[in-house]
Amino acid sequence: MQSEKVMIKRKSNNIIKFWHSYRQSLYGLIGFAILLIFIIVALFAPIISPYNPHAMKGEVLLSPSLSHLMGTDHLGRDVFSRIVYGTRVSLSVGFIAAGLSAIIGIFIGSFSGYYGGIVDEIVDKIVDTFLMIPAFFLILIIVAIFGNSIFYIMLVIGLTTWPQNARLMRAQALSLRERTFVMVARATGESNIRILFTHIIPNGIYPVLANTALQMGGAILTEAALSFLGLGDPNFVSWGKMIYQARPYMTFAWWAVVFPGIFIVLAVVSFSFIGDGLQYTFNPKLNVKQKKVSA
Amino acid sequence: MSGFVRFITRRVISIIPMVLLIVLINFFIIHLAPGNPAQIISGLEQPSQEVIKALEHRYGLDKPLVVQLGIYFKNALKGDLGYSYIYSEPVITLIKERIGATLLLTLTSAVLAFISGTLLAAWSSRYKKGILDSILSILSYVLYAMPSFWLALILILIFSSNLRWFPTAGMFNVRLSLHGFSRFGDILYHLFLPVLTLTLIQIPVYFRVTRSSIFQVSRDEYILTMTAAGLERKKIFNKYVLKNAILPSVTIFGLTLGYAITGSALVEIVFAWPGMGRLMLDAVFKRDYNLLLGIYFVLAVCICIAILLTDVFYAILDPRIRYK
Repeated sequence: MQSEKVMIKRKSNNIIKFWHSYRQSLYGLIGFAILLIFIIVALFAPIISPYNPHAMKGEVLLSPSLSHLMGTDHLGRDVFSRIVYGTRVSLSVGFIAAGLSAIIGIFIGSFSGYYGGIVDEIVDKIVDTFLMIPAFFLILIIVAIFGNSIFYIMLVIGLTTWPQNARLMRAQALSLRERTFVMVARATGESNIRILFTHIIPNGIYPVLANTALQMGGAILTEAALSFLGLGDPNFVSWGKMIYQARPYMTFAWWAVVFPGIFIVLAVVSFSFIGDGLQYTFNPKLNVKQKKVSA
Repeated sequence: MSGFVRFITRRVISIIPMVLLIVLINFFIIHLAPGNPAQIISGLEQPSQEVIKALEHRYGLDKPLVVQLGIYFKNALKGDLGYSYIYSEPVITLIKERIGATLLLTLTSAVLAFISGTLLAAWSSRYKKGILDSILSILSYVLYAMPSFWLALILILIFSSNLRWFPTAGMFNVRLSLHGFSRFGDILYHLFLPVLTLTLIQIPVYFRVTRSSIFQVSRDEYILTMTAAGLERKKIFNKYVLKNAILPSVTIFGLTLGYAITGSALVEIVFAWPGMGRLMLDAVFKRDYNLLLGIYFVLAVCICIAILLTDVFYAILDPRIRYK
């Protein structure tokens, strides 16, 4: 019981310590603030949006005014309300697709790096290949052939972007398995699985976390591009789809194209900021650890 | 020189498993896709029994899966990628007609982005932590986050619809049948906006890599020694720091080309550029699986070749790599 309490205390201490060093990065803070606003917008979309995003009641192609902040589209739908609802799709694609990619990458990378051998070499080759060939075309083909529901899109993005995380995790596992504390654990008879889950993954996960923030932005861009090609989920409003639908009327209704794009950029920038903030936070920590080990 | 030859051979051999893997992915997609593989390869919606029989024989579809994979692989390497049903032509012919336009767009923008990204990084690193450095750094975040197709639309709105400086679509003016130098000029004129879009979205990659590598190299001991010895700072920067700091950008050139081709497919669609992007869009809309897989295969092979060429170029630039 007591050791558990100590563990909990140590964990919350770690979070406070983490926050103290993350605070140092201005970009990281700004990114976090933007993301927080987006999350609130996504959660309270029905309260925030002034109109029903599907209602075709207003006049068509109205320019931005006080009653329609960002104008209306070619079917008379309020652009601002559609952007608010689109936040839901973009954020869930970002979180779920990149989360899945992180989980797969962490498992494959840590197993491959820790055990080594021929399996490791094959995994490394596969990872190399996937990293060189743009995942977007593969995602596009799979979605075009097998269907374009939003869950399918998230799944496919997650299943095709894990190699980056696997490579980062593998490098960590390769160096961690030679460290003294892991060797001690092995000598005291801890099972390999236990070592992986209590030592290798918790200590090597940081670069993957920073990369996952970047991949969340990447997933949002991928979904937008798919929607722009007409491969978005027909049942949900998404920023990419808004641009796709507004494009034919672009020359006399710029607002329906410009505003959704600005929100894509904002969301992706916030994730990039967070990713870089995490990198700055984790790197000095790792340096300190390495110094201690070598001394 | 023998070290050089050995290095190249090793790189060429390392490409083989990559091509194999792409073929494997394509093969599995054809077999997992709804519908009969013979029907997909035939490119017909309702192929007759004879056609199916003939195709099954030609591609060995009645044989075990492993044998089929072997035959599929052999055909792919020979350039036989099946038929496209929307154009009723061999996929490879369609791709051959359009790949030139795509490569023109992609390579021009990649080279321009490499040059301008590196120069901007060199320029901004002289004013480290200054206003210029911060502005460029924020701009690189924004450009990196920008969907290529959206940037293309915005540029059309500004430069074509409002200012009327550049054409909105196409590769040349079809109403004027120009020849020789004026035709070249016309293509350049049409090339400007698509290339500008693609260059802008690639600049951040080179900018960031070069910037951090300049930072790293300038902290190296030999640079410190030179500074301490009293060499002119400008000379050290141009002659020693920049030369070494460019190397990482060269290595990522091949990889970034993959990113550039993705962007270029989308930008081509916006500008109605007669390249592979348009072909891809048609294939997506009419569910022409064969054409899609063919495009994927050819692009992947192109990227492999680009990465190989980058490695060779790198080995020429940096002799250390050859003897590793």
